[in-house]
Amino acid sequence: MVRPICIASLWLLAAAPVSASGPGVSDRHPVYVGVKVCTQCHAGKAAGHQFSLWRASPHAKGYASLWSPEAKKIAELSGIKEEPQEAAACLGCHATAFDTEAWEKEDTFHLEDGIGCETCHGPGSEYIDLAVMSENPMEHGLIMPDKRLCMICHNVKGSHVAILASPVFDYEKALATIAHPATNGARMTPTPLPSANSKTASPGKFKYTGVMACAACHKGPMMGHQFSKWRMGKHARAYAVLGTSAGYEIAAKEGVKGDPQESAKCLKCHSTGAGHAAADFTDGFDVGDGVSCEACHGPGSEYSLEAIMRDPRAAREAGLQEVNRQTCMPCHENAHGANFDYATAMEIIAHPTQVDPNTKPSAHMRYKTPLNMALSPDGRELYVACEASDTVIVVDVTSRLKVAEIETGGQPTDVAFNPDGSRVYVTNRLDDTLVVIDTKTRARLRTIPVGDEPHGVLTDQAGKLIYVLNTSADSISVINATTLKEEKRLTASRGPWSLSMSPDGKLIAATNTLSRFVPFRTPSMSEVTIIDTERAVVENRIVVPAANLVQGVDWHTGGTFALITLNRTKNLVPMTRLLQGWTITNGIGVIWRDGRVDQVLLDEPDMCFPDAADVAVSPNGKYAFVTSSGSDRVAVVDVDKLISMLEAATPYEREHVFPNHVGKPTEFVVKHIRTKDSPRGVLFSRDGTTAYVANALDDSITVIDVGKLEAVDRIDLGGPKEITKVRYGERLFHSADITFRRQFSCHSCHPDGHVDGITYDIEPDGIGISPVDNRTLRGILDTAPFKWEGTNPSLQRQCGPRLAVFFTRIDPFTPEELSALDNYICTIPRPPNRYRPVGAELTPAQRRGKLVYERMMTNDGRIIPVDNRCVTCHPPPYYTDRSRRDIGTKMMLDRESKFDVPHLNNIYDSAPYLHNGIAETLEEIWTRFNPYDQHGVTNDMTKDQLNDLIEYLKTL
Amino acid sequence: MASSAYCRRLEAVLFAGLLLAATPAARGSEKSEKVAAGDSPAQSVPDKQKQIATEASNMPFVYTKWEQFTTKDGLPNDHIFAVKVFGDYVWVGTEDGLARLNKKTREIKCWREEDGLPWRVVGAIDVHPKTDEVWLGLFGGGLARFSGGRFDHWHQLNSGLVNDVVYGVAIEHDNVWAATTAGASRYNTVTGEWSIFTEKNAPMEEIWNYGVCYADGLVYLGVWGSGVLEYNVERGTWKDYLDPDGEMEIDLYRDDGIMHVITTGVSYVDQTLWAASYFGVGRYDGRHWRCFFAHESGLPSDFTNAVKGRSAHEAWFATDKGLGVLADFGTDTWVTYTSDHDAHKGKAVVQRGEKIIAEFETMLNLPHNYVLWVEFDGDDAWIGTSKGLGHAIGECYFPRLRNEKQIAQAIRDAIIFRDATLHRDATVREPVANAEMQNSE
Repeated sequence: MVRPICIASLWLLAAAPVSASGPGVSDRHPVYVGVKVCTQCHAGKAAGHQFSLWRASPHAKGYASLWSPEAKKIAELSGIKEEPQEAAACLGCHATAFDTEAWEKEDTFHLEDGIGCETCHGPGSEYIDLAVMSENPMEHGLIMPDKRLCMICHNVKGSHVAILASPVFDYEKALATIAHPATNGARMTPTPLPSANSKTASPGKFKYTGVMACAACHKGPMMGHQFSKWRMGKHARAYAVLGTSAGYEIAAKEGVKGDPQESAKCLKCHSTGAGHAAADFTDGFDVGDGVSCEACHGPGSEYSLEAIMRDPRAAREAGLQEVNRQTCMPCHENAHGANFDYATAMEIIAHPTQVDPNTKPSAHMRYKTPLNMALSPDGRELYVACEASDTVIVVDVTSRLKVAEIETGGQPTDVAFNPDGSRVYVTNRLDDTLVVIDTKTRARLRTIPVGDEPHGVLTDQAGKLIYVLNTSADSISVINATTLKEEKRLTASRGPWSLSMSPDGKLIAATNTLSRFVPFRTPSMSEVTIIDTERAVVENRIVVPAANLVQGVDWHTGGTFALITLNRTKNLVPMTRLLQGWTITNGIGVIWRDGRVDQVLLDEPDMCFPDAADVAVSPNGKYAFVTSSGSDRVAVVDVDKLISMLEAATPYEREHVFPNHVGKPTEFVVKHIRTKDSPRGVLFSRDGTTAYVANALDDSITVIDVGKLEAVDRIDLGGPKEITKVRYGERLFHSADITFRRQFSCHSCHPDGHVDGITYDIEPDGIGISPVDNRTLRGILDTAPFKWEGTNPSLQRQCGPRLAVFFTRIDPFTPEELSALDNYICTIPRPPNRYRPVGAELTPAQRRGKLVYERMMTNDGRIIPVDNRCVTCHPPPYYTDRSRRDIGTKMMLDRESKFDVPHLNNIYDSAPYLHNGIAETLEEIWTRFNPYDQHGVTNDMTKDQLNDLIEYLKTL
Repeated sequence: MASSAYCRRLEAVLFAGLLLAATPAARGSEKSEKVAAGDSPAQSVPDKQKQIATEASNMPFVYTKWEQFTTKDGLPNDHIFAVKVFGDYVWVGTEDGLARLNKKTREIKCWREEDGLPWRVVGAIDVHPKTDEVWLGLFGGGLARFSGGRFDHWHQLNSGLVNDVVYGVAIEHDNVWAATTAGASRYNTVTGEWSIFTEKNAPMEEIWNYGVCYADGLVYLGVWGSGVLEYNVERGTWKDYLDPDGEMEIDLYRDDGIMHVITTGVSYVDQTLWAASYFGVGRYDGRHWRCFFAHESGLPSDFTNAVKGRSAHEAWFATDKGLGVLADFGTDTWVTYTSDHDAHKGKAVVQRGEKIIAEFETMLNLPHNYVLWVEFDGDDAWIGTSKGLGHAIGECYFPRLRNEKQIAQAIRDAIIFRDATLHRDATVREPVANAEMQNSE
């Protein structure tokens, strides 16, 4: 019953990887060999049917189970946009070696095998040799998993609890479920899976290729997840069940003596190709796959080519069999005394080659979320960048109606016309692109790659150069408008956001939403970057002291100054000051052409102006309209009054009093105009009679009559009328209604669900103990506990009682509100990793860095304790073991020494680092703040090794 | 006009030089028989004599008009380690600060540590040609970028820079190369990736990098103990140029490679590599090396701190005993500049090989004979020394050699051009004429 050819080839394959190495990687890096190679010893009665026990377990269905509608819902709830079977976050716990490159896996390895042996026991190439296995396998990488390892994946996940209502994981019970002891501890020998082939049968015309050959095409949503459906079904376990006690019992009743897996009678219906000659099976075939595709559809060697499969007649001639009642009945009719209903059975195993409606992406609401606008040079059309719908909506200004909607790409954020109005440029923040649209045809002409997360866009006065602010790359792409190629990239500060050109066209002012890095526990220092348009270079970097979230900007028509929006976050004082209206203040700044800066607040004693988002100056220079996305209002600033007030003041007042004076706005804010939810972009019509405000969370434009200073119309951009729970949560997130005197919203500290880059003292002690770095909310659902001290087990806890205690000081969110907010926060997606696009191989430096990340020995050969290896505390897929650890970073101001192990996904995008934000760069974590090797053993590393490690970290 | 008068005086000087060179006395010793290497080695003796006579009638341009800048003029320090000209500005790296000299207004603006400069010693400067960003190699302080009035700082603790002792800096596309005492670093300003080149991944037996330059897709590193290393940017490959004589401080087998593996500076221009060492200098045209030593050329000293190639034919060498200018490689014609500070005057010696063919006494030219850096600025040059910044004004400059007629024509052309320029831009300030020229006779 042994297939010597297959076995020989498998061992050859298994032996090969021992010396396999990827480019630039030293020899003897362990590689994954796959379940089939393990099976060579760990199957059959002598091995306690270990393979069969695994195959019958949920682990073997780990990958396949991701096809289910529930999996899709979990992914959606977690802000995962991809198919679960392609998402790293899902595959990390539902498959083996998801994060490895092709060279780290042998041909015998299949991701589709789900959670295989090597998930728990480590890549097998170095220890599968019989001699090694018998003597010292642990020294060659064999891992005997413990609770810690299991809990990396089995720790409670909010997303799974919410959708599956799964019970709390019981480790002991789970161990019993998957127990697969070798019989009496018997010494393993290569006793491959018995086969159903016949020594006497003559070779047939067609060969059995095995289920993985079929799975190469017949998986994924476009093929109705056929492979996964089979793998989840009983057919896939047909062989494995023969090795279970139940299998033995039934076999005995059928008169089979001994191991059912060696019984031709059992194998006839519990395997594929039973009775065929050994030559009828290719190396890829695995009897362990039970009743697989070819059991019903016939051996596939000749018809499995795509070209043949697409031609039904050719496929039939090549051996593809039509499945009907006669196919099933020989095995199922009266099998083991059970009734068999053909029609019902066919429903159960149905796997049509078409998109299963259950697996289609749910038809969730597609809101518009308008952010920024641009008015055509002739003033007739308004182009609105709509982040959620991936479109630009065109509004006819006269009729105030939406007249077109143009697909742009992922998360369009800003929009600008060229001077003659023939083209529109749109930044796609998700795709890192700039799209060029022909305004006549409304067609996309070109898509140009730019830097990470492009936000603001503008052309120079002549329209020759396009400036794009790369928010996540801290740079400005300068693109030739004729060739549409990037000519150069200028350096911005942190998070360049919006830009505006001076009336004479000589300067462009670009805001930066994040403060520069500042020394520990010192005030923010933001920057407005001034570009000389003649030479397209940075001319000046104007510092806006103690400000952050500097976002909106518009030049005054007089050309002597520009206005910006800003926050003045008092992050250095404890949050107890909240009651005194002193946590986050909001206002505007005056950026004078000569580099001077004035700051004034728009907050008033009893009513703040949370999240000043954008500013526009009327064409006659009389008014500046400022949007408050946190309070759904526009502040009307009388510019003359503002400037007069400043000019009449002493330098001391301008520098030290006005920036914090909540009594001053009444001297220059002449009115507040109500808008719809979360107003962001604002602009005036060419004649200055009308202003338009983009209501991001209402999918509308508010039209303001500038003469009357009143909102006179609402332009509907056509978003869904229904407000989903997530959308409701999004509104709550962006609203300051809950906070004392409406000082700030969740968005104030977590703009766009991310970070504001500064450190807070949130605790109520009032003495500045335990300052902590702000952390991103992107993709955090399953990374509990929360807070740096790890004291909040859930988002509900984080946003509910904690919020009430520390932030709001008034009524907390209602349960309904809290649930909606929690839902929204869960779904804040993590942007695609910019350092390793999906499917891309690692660069040589990243590959070397991965070895450092996973290393077990120091450069001088000392074993690194398990608890002091990178991968121990930061295991995939989230790169956190969700524990609290003391890594030696406790400082005088800290009350705890153990801190939550942060996840590392997109870690490059959330500086500063460590619990108190004291490390400005990833390098500093180890060069400055790990003197005693408590945060991983790193002090033996050379500088190039550290560089490699960081290159790898940036890919996670 | 002053400039026209200046050029006419120069014309007179050079004519006098030609006459001087034509006399047997001026040809001097037996050294005058030497023919420039590399030119027609198979010529007969009569041919050689004819060639010598012809060459003697050709003269290089001699910088006779100089000005000096020191702390008295506003520089932060007189130890000038690096000079970079970009647009209207001359950026000057000193032992205690960075200075920017506005060529039009003569205004000097300084930055010291208290002004935000991250480290006091600025040892190297390069400017990104597209963004105007000034990159500084800080001797002991890492790397800095000056943009829009703000300094950004990278060092070995907060970045992937291999070492803080930075000797050289060069811009290559979006990359910034830093030559450091522990290897070379390359920083990609777009991706943020740092690469380190040491003995692990480059033919760098020693890792003490003294200098770096980039041109035409090639990065050259001058390495203390590893000669010159060439990095092909497109291919990502290395090539080394080592001294075949090992570490001998003489050129045992003539022109077989670089002079010595202790390389102090590199410069690549017109597909020609110029290399400096503490034991002489060399030139490589892609096929042949040619080395030069003080005892047989116009090189003031073998101890060379830096080199800057102006073309395939001309290179300036910063030595501890003055400035050596190989004005025309083909004829081995040199001009050697030195100053006598006690006498407050300077000297320019024209030499063909080891043969002196003319000497010009000038007023002070180099601020000091210990020369550390050379930077070209069109026809001008800026010289960093241990006691200030020198400015060699190249009015009527011509490359290589000119005979009597050509010089006259060149000077006439230059005068016409300059007059036209002055007429167009009346605000252009006349260079300070601080050196009276005198015929050595």
